[in-house]
Amino acid sequence: MWDGIIIGGGLAGLLAGIRASERGKHILIISEGVGSLTYSSGALDFGDAGQLLNQENHPYALLGETSIRAGMDYFQRLFPDYQGKWGVTQNLLTPLGSPRKASIVPYGQNAESLQDARRIVLMAPDGMKDFFPEIIKTNLERSYPQCVVEVYPFRVGAFESWHAIGKSVTGMEYAKYWQSGPGISELKRVLNCLTMIFDGEVSSKKNETAVLFPGIATAFSDPLKEILSETPFPVIEMTAFPPSASGHNLYCALKQKFKSLGGELLFGTGVQRIELQGKLCDKAIVKSKGRYTAFSARSFILATGGIFGGGIEVTPEAAQETVLGLPLYVPAELTNSEFLGEQPYAHMGIEVDSELRPTGPGNKEVLFENLRVIGRMLAHWDPWTDNCGGGVSLATGWFAGEKL
Amino acid sequence: MSFEPNKAENLDACIKCSACTALCPVAAVNPLFPGPKILGPDAERFRLEGLQIGTTLLNYCSKCKTCEITCPSGVKITEMITRAQEDAKISGGGKTLQFSIRDYLFGRAEYLGRLAMISPNLTNVLLKAPPVRKILAQVLGISSEAPLPAYNPKFKGTETGRQSKKQVVYFPGCFVTYNDPPTGQAIVKVLEHNGYEVIVPSFHCCGTPLEGNGYLNEAKEIAKKNLALMDPFMRAGIPLITGCTSCGLALKECPSFEEPESELQTYDLFEFLWQLHEQNELRENFNEVQVSLGYHASCHLKAQGIGTPSVRLLRLIPGVQVAELDQGCCGLSGSYGFKKEKYNTAMQIGNPLFNRVRQGVASGEFQSVITECGGCQVQIRHGSGIKTEHPIWVLMQAYGLN
Ligand SMILES: Cc1cc2nc3c(=O)[nH]c(=O)nc-3n(C[C@H](O)[C@H](O)[C@H](O)COP(=O)(O)OP(=O)(O)OC[C@H]3O[C@@H](n4cnc5c(N)ncnc54)[C@H](O)[C@@H]3O)c2cc1C
Ligand code: SF4
Ligand code: SF4
Repeated sequence: MWDGIIIGGGLAGLLAGIRASERGKHILIISEGVGSLTYSSGALDFGDAGQLLNQENHPYALLGETSIRAGMDYFQRLFPDYQGKWGVTQNLLTPLGSPRKASIVPYGQNAESLQDARRIVLMAPDGMKDFFPEIIKTNLERSYPQCVVEVYPFRVGAFESWHAIGKSVTGMEYAKYWQSGPGISELKRVLNCLTMIFDGEVSSKKNETAVLFPGIATAFSDPLKEILSETPFPVIEMTAFPPSASGHNLYCALKQKFKSLGGELLFGTGVQRIELQGKLCDKAIVKSKGRYTAFSARSFILATGGIFGGGIEVTPEAAQETVLGLPLYVPAELTNSEFLGEQPYAHMGIEVDSELRPTGPGNKEVLFENLRVIGRMLAHWDPWTDNCGGGVSLATGWFAGEKL
Repeated sequence: MSFEPNKAENLDACIKCSACTALCPVAAVNPLFPGPKILGPDAERFRLEGLQIGTTLLNYCSKCKTCEITCPSGVKITEMITRAQEDAKISGGGKTLQFSIRDYLFGRAEYLGRLAMISPNLTNVLLKAPPVRKILAQVLGISSEAPLPAYNPKFKGTETGRQSKKQVVYFPGCFVTYNDPPTGQAIVKVLEHNGYEVIVPSFHCCGTPLEGNGYLNEAKEIAKKNLALMDPFMRAGIPLITGCTSCGLALKECPSFEEPESELQTYDLFEFLWQLHEQNELRENFNEVQVSLGYHASCHLKAQGIGTPSVRLLRLIPGVQVAELDQGCCGLSGSYGFKKEKYNTAMQIGNPLFNRVRQGVASGEFQSVITECGGCQVQIRHGSGIKTEHPIWVLMQAYGLN
């Protein structure tokens, strides 16, 4: 018998699991897959909280400012490698070199120093997949007109056999290499070369140079942070197309934190259904090899990630919540003609009360006393237009972990 | 290892997300290996048309099944690869004669074990002798650095049950039977301590080595023999228990097609003990055991979808601290890492795990390592130099049975 079972080990589920475990609860997370963090940039958005707190039924409005801020603070206390302040956004670079804003940014991704630069040196590792230096250069020149942009191609010996057969190296592979022992020595060598080139220059530009580095993820690696803090010029990480090393590293850090607090993660298979005892959830039924296994708990959290995570299944005929068949809020007109505008389907999800417990369709009656719904499963928000994907997951995850 | 998979249906389930390849431990260290997505569902399309592609590369798959548990769409990737290997073998493609003979032998852990039982001591002396290892490397392609496990006098148990109420059938597996009988005896003692009579029929190999070396049909044949041996016990509703996670996976994956369905009654040892705990039937008057351990979850345990019951159970023992290592595959994958051309890949795959183990011990976080899988034990000891054993030994101490 567990104190709590969390269904879905993405950002929301893991954070809830960590908080509850820290409070001494005995927690099992059951997760079919790795969740959407690996597909995200690693930076987290909280959106315009002031406005969203007043948006009817929005998860922020349900929880209130104190909880949203608590989620943000808690996350940064767990992972000091992530930095951000309430109400302040930071600049970072998209994989194509355009600036964008985010609320909490992993160590190394903050690109504020580009504002003061006069020259940007774009590191171009040989044969890197999904990396387009010419497009990045053009975008940088447009966004930072005061800067000269130079591309600095370099080759890493460790990937010679990749190059030899004409196979590209993914950003994740590069990032993993930089974190290894040989990778760290090689990085020191590459950065020393750069320092020497800049030292040899007579112009004053050398003091106003910023270096952009794709395919590296510094957060959670002390040796990498140390090397990059010692260079005479700022080194800025670029975010990557999915799957991304920064997002994946955050996923791994969450997982590790959860396990080190004594939590158990059952990965690779999903919860098929929940056995009920009246108005209480009782057992999670999991598809194990050869047969089903039942796990019982006092409380449950549903964090199955909406349509993308697999928690909501959409067919041409209908949409349904996959584990308990909970009633779904489905917006009246499902698609919007404006392609990049608000998409009503994004608001699809489970309606809950202010304790995040699912409620019946059209009324506020709590369906199950010991079940909370968090993250992307919730109704009435749109991560793209509200720009608060990370914020909702952290706030609701923290809240559910606190209450369990 | 299901008998008649629905090939086309499984193929169409692939959404081309590449999650499998991103997490495949072999693709991460060997650029020549195209990875599960390409060798599995992508190439399957051509194979269904009768075209064999990448036959030599297929053999680099270690059968760790990481791809299968990662796949969001439930594509039976490893099974596709194994079947393709088998087909390639029939058409003679892919392997040199040397490697074919070696893989033939490695697939037959049971026969090798029986052969060694003629004189375990002599076998061990020979297997340690550098000249012998040189010959094995040259003639058979077995890496001279590989940590071939030592043989021990054969594990034997009671073959027939008396009429006691609480009975279990124990499936020791080749590793316990030929290499590590003391662990088998420990498992029997712990079950007996909990009031069970333990029956050990003369089982054959579970078939995993055959499957791993690309002999899918023979694996099915041997599974049938085991099913015949299990049948009377299954009919009597007696649980089947194994302490080896690869045997466990094979037994659960192998549907008997007849009533009673054996996979419903097959348990990993600690899965079974945990169930006893939940039913308040486990003896829990544990002695305090002051020990900190690093736990490695084997790939074939993860593929069972039962979590990590041994960690759960050991944490019930006062004084025991368990840290999950969480560093992926150890690299050995049965006999994969013993092979000359794969030894380095296997060691590279295991490197993050070995580093984690060494760091953990150096910093005093834990003293030694536990893992259910005999192969992982051998590989972790070899790669890190740190003592690694089956978790049953902690329970033995807690029960005061050593
Ligand atoms: C492509 C992409 C890019 C993004 N970029 C950003 C960004 O830049 N900034 C930002 O702030 N946010 C971003 N987000 C949003 C943010 O990552 C999400 O809000 C958040 O990760 C959602 O977390 P979640 O835990 O609710 O769901 P998920 O992370 O999707 O996790 C759901 C988990 O549940 C599991 N699951 C599903 N069904 C079952 C079942 N039956 N049994 C067991 N397990 C099950 C899934 O396998 C999955 O692991 C992005 C999201 C995506 C998809
Ligand atoms: S079984 Fe393991 S080695 Fe083989 S393709 Fe899948 S993940 Fe890779
Ligand atoms: S993980 Fe599954 S769905 Fe994704 S590419 Fe691999 S086989 Fe296809």
